[in-house]
Amino acid sequence: MTVQCELCPKMCLIEPGQSGECRVRINIDGVLRTVVYGFPCSINIDPIEKKPLFHFLPGTGILSIATVGCNLHCLNCQNWEISQANPEESRAVLCPPQKLVALAKQNRCPSIAYTYTDPIVYYEYTYDTAKLARDNGIRNVLVTAGYINAAPWKELLKYIDAANIDLKFISDDLYRRICSGTLKPVQNALVLAKASGVLVEVTNLIIPTLNDKPEDICELSRWIRANLGSDTPLHFSGFYPRYKMQHLPPTSLKKLEEAREIAVSEGLDYVYIGNVRSKEGENTYCPGCKKLLIERKGYTILQNRLKKGCCPDCNKEIYGVWK
Amino acid sequence: MTRRKFIKKIIKASSLIIASTSWLANKASPRKFVRAFRVKKYPGSLRPLRDVSKQSKWSG
Repeated sequence: MTVQCELCPKMCLIEPGQSGECRVRINIDGVLRTVVYGFPCSINIDPIEKKPLFHFLPGTGILSIATVGCNLHCLNCQNWEISQANPEESRAVLCPPQKLVALAKQNRCPSIAYTYTDPIVYYEYTYDTAKLARDNGIRNVLVTAGYINAAPWKELLKYIDAANIDLKFISDDLYRRICSGTLKPVQNALVLAKASGVLVEVTNLIIPTLNDKPEDICELSRWIRANLGSDTPLHFSGFYPRYKMQHLPPTSLKKLEEAREIAVSEGLDYVYIGNVRSKEGENTYCPGCKKLLIERKGYTILQNRLKKGCCPDCNKEIYGVWK
Repeated sequence: MTRRKFIKKIIKASSLIIASTSWLANKASPRKFVRAFRVKKYPGSLRPLRDVSKQSKWSG
């Protein structure tokens, strides 16, 4: 009997013995089964700045996990070796939620990140681990493309403390052509996450000739400001030719700096540059008095001047979870 | 065949048609799931847990 997976907007109809587009949700004898629950292909402790999250527990290590599979198929995917892999051809570690939480505790990680591929496709594993982690005083972070239906998203957000959500393009056509997705569900996921009290940071990868025009940056910044608020941190990330998009050049630092200037002029308070070294684009400045608050170099915090989450000079409260 | 017998036969045939159509329709519509159930065995191969303290090579 055919089953329908209602987790993500793709709503895959899956024949017996077949998987959905994500490759990891399979119809076995008329029942939808996840073959990656408790089987991550990657477990590492990263600096939280790598996610990137700049307004959530800066300077801490985060236990980061992923299973294989993804519900999108971005032509530029940097992790395509695991995101587009079939579980049958992959190697994984047996690590149920209890073991993950114990690992986080053992290594004194205050949080766990569900990242690298997309935690949406290992939803049940993410959900159960996040619930258990919360009970044990460990916080949960999602790094996701946000391509999920509203009901399961709301259910998962109950246990999530912070999320970095990709807003890859502000054009539905580009979402369809480059990622095999659509724009609207991602916008809905962003709005829902912010409204539910999760700390939300947004990443936009700037790909030369596709989404690097000033009007694209303007439109994207305006949408974020109008729908998520001016305090939402935005990371412009530099593109590198990978996977099926090796014909395009890497994004220049100049282009990223221009994008940052546009987003700031559109009223966003915290705009960052990632994947390349940038002096000002890595730091946090007070939106009130413009003084330096957190100085970064790569993933390292050089100084953090925040006092109880506020600017030490003008006392403005800075959006974030600081301890 | 009397009229009564004929009507009985018509009713029998039409209820059979209705029952089989609804059975077919029921079979044809997919079972819907949001949450998937676990499997016990990983379809790929398993490896031991390595040193987790090293930074990952993956982006994100």
